Amino acid sequence: MRGKPKITYQPRQSWLHALHPLAKLCWLAGLSISLFLVHSPVSVVTILLLTVIGFPLAGISLRSDVRGIRFLTTMGVLLFSLQVLFNHSGSSILDVSLGTVNLSVTEVGVANGIYVGGRFLTLVLMSYLFVLTTDPSALAYSLMRIGLPYRYGFVLITALRLAPIFEVESNTVYQAQLTRGIEYDVRSPRRFLTLARQLILPLLVSALSKVDDLAVSMEGRCFGKYPTRTYRRAPNYGSTDILALVVLAAGALGMVLLGALRI
Amino acid sequence: MIRIRGLSFRFQGSETETLSDINLDIRPGEFVVITGPSGCGKSTLALALGGYLFRQYAGDATGEVAVDGLDARESEIFDIAELVGLVQQNPEAQLCTLSVADEVAFGLENRRLPRQMIEERSEWALDIVGALHLVDRPLATLSGGEKQKVAIAAMMAAKPQVLIFDEPTSNLDPTATGEIFEVIQRIQEKAGITVIVIEHKLGYLRPFHPRVIRMEHGRVVSDGRHLTPYLPSRSNRAACHSANADSNNNRVARTEHLTVEYDKVPVLDDVSLDFHTGEFVTVMGNNGSGKTTLLRCLMGLLRPQAGDVEIFGQDIDKFPVSSLARDVGFIFQNPDHQLFAESVWEEAIFAPRNFGLLNEETRRRVLDLLERCRLDGYREAHPHRLSYGEKRRLNLASVLSYEPGLILLDEILIGQDMENAMLIMDLLKDLTTQGSTVVNVTHNPETAWLYSDRLLFLERGRIVVDAPTPEAFARLANLGLKDYLPNGSVEQLLAR
Repeated sequence: MRGKPKITYQPRQSWLHALHPLAKLCWLAGLSISLFLVHSPVSVVTILLLTVIGFPLAGISLRSDVRGIRFLTTMGVLLFSLQVLFNHSGSSILDVSLGTVNLSVTEVGVANGIYVGGRFLTLVLMSYLFVLTTDPSALAYSLMRIGLPYRYGFVLITALRLAPIFEVESNTVYQAQLTRGIEYDVRSPRRFLTLARQLILPLLVSALSKVDDLAVSMEGRCFGKYPTRTYRRAPNYGSTDILALVVLAAGALGMVLLGALRI
Repeated sequence: MIRIRGLSFRFQGSETETLSDINLDIRPGEFVVITGPSGCGKSTLALALGGYLFRQYAGDATGEVAVDGLDARESEIFDIAELVGLVQQNPEAQLCTLSVADEVAFGLENRRLPRQMIEERSEWALDIVGALHLVDRPLATLSGGEKQKVAIAAMMAAKPQVLIFDEPTSNLDPTATGEIFEVIQRIQEKAGITVIVIEHKLGYLRPFHPRVIRMEHGRVVSDGRHLTPYLPSRSNRAACHSANADSNNNRVARTEHLTVEYDKVPVLDDVSLDFHTGEFVTVMGNNGSGKTTLLRCLMGLLRPQAGDVEIFGQDIDKFPVSSLARDVGFIFQNPDHQLFAESVWEEAIFAPRNFGLLNEETRRRVLDLLERCRLDGYREAHPHRLSYGEKRRLNLASVLSYEPGLILLDEILIGQDMENAMLIMDLLKDLTTQGSTVVNVTHNPETAWLYSDRLLFLERGRIVVDAPTPEAFARLANLGLKDYLPNGSVEQLLAR
């Protein structure tokens, strides 16, 4: 009945899932920055491969569990191809003559293709891997524990809580319109505005009603009474988390040194 | 414990008072039921007791409300929250975290209690509502009844002196409803706090021997120990006719080997049914048993993995929903999701206009429908300004306005008092005598008993009972499904 799962947390028993959300966030930030600091296509490809390997290690199938993977891959290949085809700087490594059209592939074109396509694909896949293996609630609580004001933390948590409800409701409103004989035939801007208003108004009313209920529920449990709050969750950092952060720090230090030595 | 003197409240923009000169005294440990028709001010009174009415809603208030000596009109909600907990109707809308443990701990964390105490209080609260086994579960995986138990535990964790339940079971099936009332009973026995229940389902409350306060038009009209749930008897039943189930000539809809799965879990499992002209069919079953899915398949909103659906002899796969809608009316659960126009009148003629049926005859019919639904005085009003019960009746008028031959209703009676429920059911029954077919999903056995010709009972996607109503209820009684029997009829049905 349903296609691939949405791009949301997928609980599994893997070391990547078990890693502390903040350790994973540090790795995501570290690898993202390093992607733009490295000056070698091989390094970009290495980071891409490491990211791709992360999926099976986390028990997630790129083919069946990740929505939009075909589109992403196509986009990555397209970005690579554009650079290869139209960037003619540097020495040529391949010349092909197709009738009147001469196609020249250069070292710089290939390198730039890997930078642009590889970076795009790696960044998106890394973000996917982070989202698919990280409990958003645990992430929000962890961020609050390290100083994020709890009001902002709960904006994230309540958004995560309400988003699926609103998704279901918007589908219900759409179906309710079909059952009243509405046809989604956008013939003119005026018709579009009418359809949009008829879709948005019930959703807005429903959302405001939920906000009322939620406000009563949260204030009735003293949300906002004090500038700080305590937490039931203990800050559980394991040896794996510390090891992950040490490896990341070592990697960052190595990159700085290599950069300084211009290697 | 609670002292109310001369309390009146008028919401901003409203011409009438929602609460009018309320005077009440509620003692510590008392069990109080507040009842009355939809829109009579029960929920507004609950908001007043928690202080929310005076802080979160714009309007004019007069009079006094004091909880354990604390002035609810002047005090901060946080201060009143130490005394009063409010469990709302919709469990989905009052939960604000993603897991059971976080939800129950939420109020305690906000009060800056130490972690050890949070753990102890959470465990105590989950235990008292019988939900300790749910502690590690994400909220999204819970049933409606389980969510409501967690919502109650989240309030109980703060150990309030007064706990208010505002129609806590209106979205729940009879089995879950029974469980919630058992929880309420346990809370009163173990915690000994003041319990105030706002409820239409009075039959469940008889064992508590409660004090019963009845409200009408914002006023307290009676206050005593007299609890009179509606007790239908066979003689009340509307004249039912048994549709000729063997005849194919008057068949309106048919499902054959209908199978629907969500994530490989069967929701409808090989369901074959016929619906006939003029039948009033009630569909019952626990939440998640496949009732709504069955209606959605009949409307073409959901395409099954296997099986066929025919409406008026046509395979529905060949028609878009917007085309099927001319012959099949569908009313969804939430009234707000199906109000699209700017006025009650425009809403009522919305569908006929879309179908190109708007003529003088239709206008006359709509006027008549609005009158029967007691909405003729609101023709120019915005639909979203109506009360819940009025919106529900407007939903019905909007669908009946174009005379569909098959009318599918998904829990239209949620949140309705018996008077409004009867008004809706009378209207539907009249339509069946004129040849329309009604398929009504409901958790209300009383109206099923009184109005339906035939009752279907679903369990885990399968039809376990499909029979004329009296016989079907007798079978439910024999199956031990007492929560699904009309009030006071268990012995009578078992004797059949």
